[in-house]
Parts: sequence; C-alpha cells; structure tokens
Amino acid sequence: MAASAGLLPYAKIREDLFRPLSKGSPRYWITICAAMSVIILGMAAWGIQVRDGMGVTGLNRPVFWGFYIVDFVFWIGISHAGTLISAILRLTDAAWRKPVTRAAEAITVFCLMIGGMFPIIHLGRSWLFYWLIPYPNPRLLWPNFRSPLLWDLVAILTYVTGSVIYLYLPLIPDMAQLAEHNVPWRRKLYRILSLGWTGSDREWHALERAMKLMACIILAVAISVHTVVSWDFAMSIAPMWHSTIFGPYFVVGAIFSGIAALLLVMGTLRRALGLELYLTKHHFNNLSKLLLLMSLLWFYFTFAEYQTVWYGNEPSEMAVFASKIRGPYAPFFWTMVFCNFVVPFILLGIRKLRTINTAMIASVCVLIGMWLERYLIVAPTLGNPRMNAASGVYVPTWIEFAITAATFAGMLVLYLLFAKLFPMIAVWEFKAHPVEEN
Amino acid sequence: MYLMADFREQSKLEAAILALKAAGIDADDMDVFSEEPVEFHRGILDRPSRMSLVAVLGAIASGGLATAGVYAAQHNYRLVTGGMPVFSFWGTGVITYETTMLGSVLATFGWFLWESGLLRKRDKSIPVPTVLPGVMCLRVHCSDPHVTRARQILDSAGATDIARKEVA
Repeated sequence: MAASAGLLPYAKIREDLFRPLSKGSPRYWITICAAMSVIILGMAAWGIQVRDGMGVTGLNRPVFWGFYIVDFVFWIGISHAGTLISAILRLTDAAWRKPVTRAAEAITVFCLMIGGMFPIIHLGRSWLFYWLIPYPNPRLLWPNFRSPLLWDLVAILTYVTGSVIYLYLPLIPDMAQLAEHNVPWRRKLYRILSLGWTGSDREWHALERAMKLMACIILAVAISVHTVVSWDFAMSIAPMWHSTIFGPYFVVGAIFSGIAALLLVMGTLRRALGLELYLTKHHFNNLSKLLLLMSLLWFYFTFAEYQTVWYGNEPSEMAVFASKIRGPYAPFFWTMVFCNFVVPFILLGIRKLRTINTAMIASVCVLIGMWLERYLIVAPTLGNPRMNAASGVYVPTWIEFAITAATFAGMLVLYLLFAKLFPMIAVWEFKAHPVEEN
Repeated sequence: MYLMADFREQSKLEAAILALKAAGIDADDMDVFSEEPVEFHRGILDRPSRMSLVAVLGAIASGGLATAGVYAAQHNYRLVTGGMPVFSFWGTGVITYETTMLGSVLATFGWFLWESGLLRKRDKSIPVPTVLPGVMCLRVHCSDPHVTRARQILDSAGATDIARKEVA
C-alpha cells in the first residue's frame, strides 16, 4: 500500500482517537438500548430456566450438551483473536499492528467473560457453580483434578487473568494522558487506573519489557486454552470426538473465527468512530489474507478429520458421519463448508474482489460457519452414541435461542461501552503516523 | 537539587547523557520523561531488569505449589481411578502447566509495577515535569558542586529549556 509523504500531526491523532470518548450520538444510545433489550430477554429466559429447571431447554437424553456448550466453545474460540494476533504481531514487530491490537485484545477479554458464563448457565443449578472450584468441603468429594472440566476452569482463569493484564498494560500511558479529562468521574477513573504514570524512561522500559514477556506467555496460554477446550471432547471415547487432531483443529478454528471477529469489529469501528485514516485498506488487506490462510488450514483439517473417519468405516463413527453429511444435520454441514471455505476463498482469494466490504461479508459468513462447526461437533455425536438404541436429535427451544442472542448483544454492549471509555487505538504507539492511501 | 532540560532531538539528548556520565553523574540520577517510549542505544541509559528472571521464578513457584497441592489432595482424598495411579502427570499435567503460566503472568505484572516505580511510595518533593508532545525532558539529580557543570553540559548539548528545581 502506497504511503504518502505526509505525516499526521500528533495533535490530530490525539484529537481523532480521543474524540469518540466524549461524544455519544443518538445512534450509539439507540444501539445500546436495542442490545440491552435483547440482553433482558436472555436474562428472563435464564430466569425461567433457573426457576423451572433444565427441562425448559431442548436438552434431553441422549443430547445433554447443546447450545450452551456450542456457545462456550464458539466464544472461547473468538477470544483467540485478540491475544494471538496481538501477541504474534507484537513479537514480530509488525508495524501495521498498531491500530489493530487494542481492538483485538478487547475482543479477547469480552469473549472470555461471555464464554466463561456458559458452563455456569449450563449447570442448571447455577448457584452451585462454586462446586467447580477445588476447595476442601464436607461433601467428601474432592474435585477431580484429572477431569477436563476442571482443566477448563483453570485454563480459562489463567487466560482471563493474562488477557486482562495484557489489555491493561498498554492502556496505562493513554489513561495518564486522559487524566486531565474534563468530566470529573472520568478524570478520577483515569487517574486511579493510570497509577500515577509520569512517562519516565524507567516506566517505558518496564512497560515494553512486560509487554514482550506477556506476549510470549499469552501465546502459550492461548494455544493451551483452546486445546484444553478440545480435550473436553477428545478425552471421551465418543464417535468423532476421540481424535488426536482435535487440539490443533480447535486452535486453527479459534484463530480463524477470531480473525473474522476482529475484521468485523474493525470495519464497524472504522465507520462508527470515523477512523478511516487509522484503519486503512492496508490493515484490512493484511488481515483478509490471514483469514484466507486460516480458511485453507481449516478446510485441510476438516477434510483430514472426515477423510480418516470415512476410511476407518467404524459403524458408530459412520453413523455420526452420515448424520452430518446426508442426515438431519446435512444442511448445517454444507452451509458450514460454504461459509467457511467457499465464501472466503472467492471473496478474499480473488484480488480484485478483496475490499473492506467483502472482507466484512466474508467475516460474517465465517462467524456463522464457525458457530455451525461447533454445533456440528457437539450435537451429532451426542445424538448418535455408541449404543444405537439411545440415539436422538437435539431440538433447541426459545430459551436457548434467547440466551445465545443475549450473549451476542452482551458482546456488543461491552464493546460499545469500552469504546466510549478508552481509546480504541493506543495513542502513544501511534506517533508520527504516515498518512496512508485509503 | 534537580535540573530539568528539554530536548527535541534524541541525538542531542544522548550526547548530553553521555557527557553528564563522563562528568561523574550516575545514570540512576537521570530520568528521561516523554509522551512516547524513547529507545536509546546500548550504553546510553541502560536500565537493567530482572523481569525475565522474576517471571521464570514466579512460574516455577506457582506451578510447583499447584502440583504439590494437587498431589496432596489426590492422596488425601482418594478417588476411584479404576487401577490408574492416584496421581499422574498425564492426569494433572494441564493443571501444572496452566498454574505455571498463571504464576508467570502474575509475577511479570507484579514486577512491572515494582520496577516501573508505579507501586512504590513516591517522594512528592521530587519534581515531575510536564512534557509536551515531541519533547524529551531530562531530569538530573545533582549535588551543589555539580550543578554549574551539569548546566553547562546541558546547554552545550542543545537543550532548549533548562530549569532548576530545589528539593523542598
């Protein structure tokens, strides 16, 4: 991408990036209200589920994992966007990462918050969630440390902690600049959160060193988290779950959906906050190529997984295979292939078609496709267990749809509030920014 | 006694720091304030750090403690394992790994707060300059006999504005 000789003056960068913090347009508040109404509906649905029990959902013998586990895997998958992309680009010192990283890191934190709720919703008796935590108790049952569900808890707690710190660290210098904000409560908030940052070289040194170390650590944690999520499935001897490639398959899928979420968020922020000078074609082009690469990798893994099952011709596995390819789940399967492979391959693979708008269309398709992929991992296997007599089809109820919709609305609200409180691009990382051709 | 000198060019700032060091002022008595990180060449204003070591130690401590806790729990509250060992790496390796990483994350963050000075109680009598965008302010702590010499060095290095601040 050609860059003009001009440099954006610092005052303009600061104004452009801090401006969205002070103004709240009617459209902004309407969006918040609309999203909040969906959240309220979801909370009402959850309330009904808590009052009446899990019978109000479509979960029934033999499918005891449904939308909630699908949503859990989906949101945890998207959370990989942020940290992985940000950490990789930070470690490789990619200059184009600067306007992208904070948007990505925020996705991680919010997705983890949302994804982490689903095991609690799925428990049914949500008020007993603390039974997951290993503590000495009078129940004469110490939580089983070899259970993948406990691994999940520990892995996600580590990831949330790391991601929040990873998001917070580069925010400190920006918050120090915002400490002179004209709204008193904001001024107080930024002062407390910036911890008295003065901009001395000792602080900058410590910050840069900490960011590099955190990037290394968080990469290892991010990969492990989704591998652990995949082991929730792979450690059981269920057909089409007990697979050695599930770990990397899940990680690839997670990065794939994460990049799609990041592209979608960036496209929306660019338009909503007027960041055209900062989130340029160049960034979308680079991320689109990454998305295309991940689409190809995802297709490769999916093909390898299904090919192995078909060749093995093991009856219980073939029952699941058939239900996905030509059975009741076939429409979802072929939609998934279309969304995850065909659409990105055409829209992003052909150079002339690769624009910001097509990247966003491809991203929406990938997110739909990846949600379906998670659904196709969970439901068909449970619907076709090794004992044929127990087979069944999962049909979700409005309760599950409402709670799922509420989490998407929740993500929107969290992101909108974050964008109103903190600059979406790190101002201190963005000095003397060359004006790029848009 | 503190001298505060503003610089607009990094090369001039580096020259001033080298000259001040040659004049006997310790690097620990100098601080550079800026709105963005300034990367100095090696040997100019090095700030040795033990952050990596602390991160490793935090990882070892946390992972070790968690593994010991899991070991003790598994042996004291025996589960039916179907002939498998009560405690094994394969069964609990993930817990060890994740807690190792958690220890590393927390140690890094904690050490960042300590090393940057954000967590430490500050001497409010020490002046902190307000830095304008694009300006690097060098704060030098020097005793009375060095002040005139330091001022001369800063002046000749090309500082745009030099101020003298007494410690209360």
